[in-house]
Amino acid sequence: MTTTGGGPALPGAGTAALADGHAPASLTARSRDVRLRTVLGLARVEASLLARSLLALAGVIAGGAVVWVLIATMQPLWWSADWRIGAGQLILGMTVLAAAQLAAGRARRDSMTDLYASFPATAGTRTLGYLVGLAGAVPASLVLLGAGAVVVQARGAIGSPSVTVLAAGVVLVIAAGAVGAAIGTRFAHPLAGVIGALLMFLPEATSHLSSGAGLWLIPWDILLNQLGNLPGPLAGYPPAVGHLLELAGVALLAGVVALAMTVRGAWARGGLVVAGVVAVPVIAFAVVAQLSPIPTTELNHLVTEIADPASVQHCTTANHVRYCLYPGFGRDLPSLEAPVDGVLARVPARPGQALTVGQIVAPQNITNEYLFYGHSQQQVTQWNAQIMREPASAPSASAFYLSVGRWPADGGRLADAHFNVALTAAEWAVRLLSPDTLPTEQPCVPVDQAREPIAIWLAILATHPPASGLQNDGGMTAVEVHNTLVPTWTNAGGPVGQITGSAPQLTDAGYLLAKAMTSLPEQKVSQALRGAWATWLNEHTTDAQLAAALGIRMPSVPQPPLAGPGSGQPGLKTVGQPGPQSRACTS
Amino acid sequence: MDEMALNVSTAAVRAEGLSRRYGATRALDGVDIALERGITGLLGPNGAGKTTLLSILATVNEPDAGRVSAFGLDPGHAAERVEIRRRLGYLPQELGYHRHFTVAAFLDYVAILKEITDRRRRAEEVARVLAAVGLEDRARSRIRALSGGMRQRLGIAQALLGEPDLLILDEPTAGLDPEQRLRFRELLSSLPGDPVTVLSTHQADDIAAICPHVVVLLKGQMHFAGTPAELAAAAAGRVWAAGERDDRAHLSWRGGDNRWRHIGDHPPTGAELVSPTVEDGYLMLSHTAGAR
Repeated sequence: MTTTGGGPALPGAGTAALADGHAPASLTARSRDVRLRTVLGLARVEASLLARSLLALAGVIAGGAVVWVLIATMQPLWWSADWRIGAGQLILGMTVLAAAQLAAGRARRDSMTDLYASFPATAGTRTLGYLVGLAGAVPASLVLLGAGAVVVQARGAIGSPSVTVLAAGVVLVIAAGAVGAAIGTRFAHPLAGVIGALLMFLPEATSHLSSGAGLWLIPWDILLNQLGNLPGPLAGYPPAVGHLLELAGVALLAGVVALAMTVRGAWARGGLVVAGVVAVPVIAFAVVAQLSPIPTTELNHLVTEIADPASVQHCTTANHVRYCLYPGFGRDLPSLEAPVDGVLARVPARPGQALTVGQIVAPQNITNEYLFYGHSQQQVTQWNAQIMREPASAPSASAFYLSVGRWPADGGRLADAHFNVALTAAEWAVRLLSPDTLPTEQPCVPVDQAREPIAIWLAILATHPPASGLQNDGGMTAVEVHNTLVPTWTNAGGPVGQITGSAPQLTDAGYLLAKAMTSLPEQKVSQALRGAWATWLNEHTTDAQLAAALGIRMPSVPQPPLAGPGSGQPGLKTVGQPGPQSRACTS
Repeated sequence: MDEMALNVSTAAVRAEGLSRRYGATRALDGVDIALERGITGLLGPNGAGKTTLLSILATVNEPDAGRVSAFGLDPGHAAERVEIRRRLGYLPQELGYHRHFTVAAFLDYVAILKEITDRRRRAEEVARVLAAVGLEDRARSRIRALSGGMRQRLGIAQALLGEPDLLILDEPTAGLDPEQRLRFRELLSSLPGDPVTVLSTHQADDIAAICPHVVVLLKGQMHFAGTPAELAAAAAGRVWAAGERDDRAHLSWRGGDNRWRHIGDHPPTGAELVSPTVEDGYLMLSHTAGAR
C-alpha cells in the first residue's frame, strides 16, 4: 500500500502541505501555529523518552567510566581534561544515536505507518519533533560534563577548562542524535542504529591510516597524551572552535537529511536546500580550519618552553633546594618540598652541589608528527634539535626532573608520587645520581652498596608510603652485572616516566635491607649513619657492613629462578648468555 | 474549521469512480460511494477491496482513478488533506503498537499527532476514550502487557481521540469477545456528534445490530448499498429451513436446532420458507456475484 503522509518518503508530508498554493491564507496561518505547537508537543514527549531511555542511561554510565579512566590516569590539567571529557561524550553520543534511530524508525518498525499517515501531523512534523526532542540528551551530556569537571577539580585541577571544548562535547551528542534520526527515517531496523553508532568509532579504528593533521578532526583520539604532556594550553591546538563548528555543521546536515526524507513541499525543500548549503561550507570551513598547521610563533614558543624551561618557569629556593615549575604549577610546590625536606632532615651532610628539582616536557611524551604538521622539514628538524637539548637530556648528579602530565600520580596514588620524589632526592643525597649516565642509557646498579638501602630508608621515613607501593616482585626481574644476575627492585607505585634523571636501577637486596632498617628505631639508625656518613657513601661499603653496624641480619634475597637456555620465561636473563650488561654505580 | 466552508452536497463523504491496482491485482474498480452521518457497515469477503477503500477514505492511500470528497474537502490538495485528517479517526486493519509505551502515554502521543496540543484537553480526551473502551484501569499498563482484545480496544480508543467527524474502523471487532463486541456496539451507538462512521467487518450481526446503512463490496466493485433490511431482502423467498440437506442449495448448513438452513433458488423437499437475515442477504449477493 502506498501511503500519503505517514511514513518516510510520503507525499504531502511536512510543510509541503502548505506549499501547493491551494490553501486559504487563514488555514495556512492556523496550520503553521498548530504545527509549531505539535512539533513542540512531540519534542517534549521524545525528549522525555530519550532522557529516560536505558540507552541514554547506559551511555552516561559507559561515558562516565571512560571519562573516569581517562582523567584518573592523568595529572588534572584542564587543557587536556576537557578533551578527555569529550571522549566520554563520544560514548554517550553513540548510545544517543542508537536511541534516536529507534525513535525515528518507531512507526515503521511497529507497523504503524498507515495509522501515522492518517494523522494531521505529517512525517515532516514528526521528524522535526524527533530532532527538537534531542534536547532530551542534553541533561545526560551535562551530567557527564559536570561529573567530569567535578572530578578534575577535586583532583586539584591546573588551568581552566575551555567552554568551547566542553560545549563541543554537548554538540557532539546532539549531532550523533541527529545522525541517528536521519538513519531512522530511512532505516527502521534497530541494527541500523547500532551500525551507525559503531561507525562513529571507525575513525578511531583507522586512525593509524590518517595523516597527522587528519587526526585533529577527532581530537579525543590523539590528544589524550599529547595535550596532557604540554606545560599549558597551546593556543589554537587543537582548534576547538573549528571542532565545535564541524560538529554543529554535522548536526545541521544530519537534520537536513532527516527532513529531506520526510518533507515534500517546494518551500520546505527550498528551506532544506538553504540549510544544507549553509551546513556543508560550515563543515568544510571547520575541517580546513582544523587542518591548518599550528602557527610558527606558537610552536616556537612551545619549543622554547621545552628546550629552555628556565626561560618561562618560576623558580624558588627553599631549604637550599631549587624548585623550577612551569607557570600554573605552583600548586605542586608543597607536594615537592615535603618529601624532599623529609629526606634532607635525616641526611647528616648534603652533597656539595645543591639539588635542583624541575619540570620538563619529556620529548618522548609528545608526538611531533602532529604538532609540527604542515611546516617545512628544515623547520621541523630545527625544532627537534632544540627539543632534544631539554635539560634532562644532560646527565646531572644534582638535578632531577618531573615530567609534565606524569607527576604527580599519573594514575597512581599521590603517596607513591611523593615517595618517588623522596627516593630520588635521597639518591642525590647519597650520591647515587650519576653524572656519567645519559637518561637514554641503561642506569647503573648499586650492587651491594650500603648507600642504596640508606637512600631507600630515607625515602620511606620521609614519606611513609603505603606498603603496597613498596612491594617487590620476588626476584622476577633482574639485570646482569659483571655476569652476575642481580634481582632488581622498582617500587610498585612508581609509574615509568614520572621522574627523569640519572637515577640508578635499585636492587632487591637494597630494598630488603632498607625495609629491615625501618624496624629499628630511627634514632639508632641515624646515629649509626651520622657517625660514619662518608664511609657509608663509599661505593665499596657493603650492605653486610651496614647490617652489621646496625646489628641486624642480612635479609635473604629471593634469587631469580635461573633459566636455562630457551626457557622463555619473561623478565629473566640467563647467566652466560649474550645480552646487555649493566654497570655497577661508582662514586 | 469554521472558516472552511463545508461544501456538503448530498453526502458528507463521497467517492466517485475509485479504482486502485496493486500490480496485476485490481483492488478497486470504479467504486462510487456516498456516506452520510451515522454508521455505515462495509461487508465483503477477504480481498474484496474493503481495506483499500477505507485507506483511501482515510487519506492514507491514493486512488489510481476517481476522486474523493470529505466534508467538501479534496484530499488531493495537501492543505485540505490535512484538514480532513484533523477530523478523522482511523483504525487500520493491522495495527502495530509501541509496546513499550504505557496505554495512557500512547494515547497522549497519538493525541499530539492529532494536533490536540493543549495539555489539559489532551488529558481529558485520553481519560474520555479510555473510559469509553473500558481501559481506565489499565492506563498505566505497558501495551505489551495487554491482551489482544485490550489492544483492539486501545486501537478503537485512539481512533476516538478528538471526537472525529469521520470515523473509519477496519474490522474493529476482530479479537473482541462477545461482551466486548456488545460494548463496542453500545459505544458506537452513543458517539457524540453523530460522526460519519464506516465500519468494515465480517460480522453480519454487527451490521444488523448497529448500522443503518450497509455497503457490500465484492471483487473491488460495489454490489449493494442500502439498509440492512434491504440487504436481507435480497435473499427474500430464497431462504429455507428443512430437515434434510439439499445439494441444489447454493449454501446450506445445520443450525443449532438441528434443522438445515438452505439458501437457494429451489425449495428443498418439505422445507419451509423463513425470513432472511442480513447474513443471508449478503451470502446470496456474494453467490450471485460469483464471488464465492
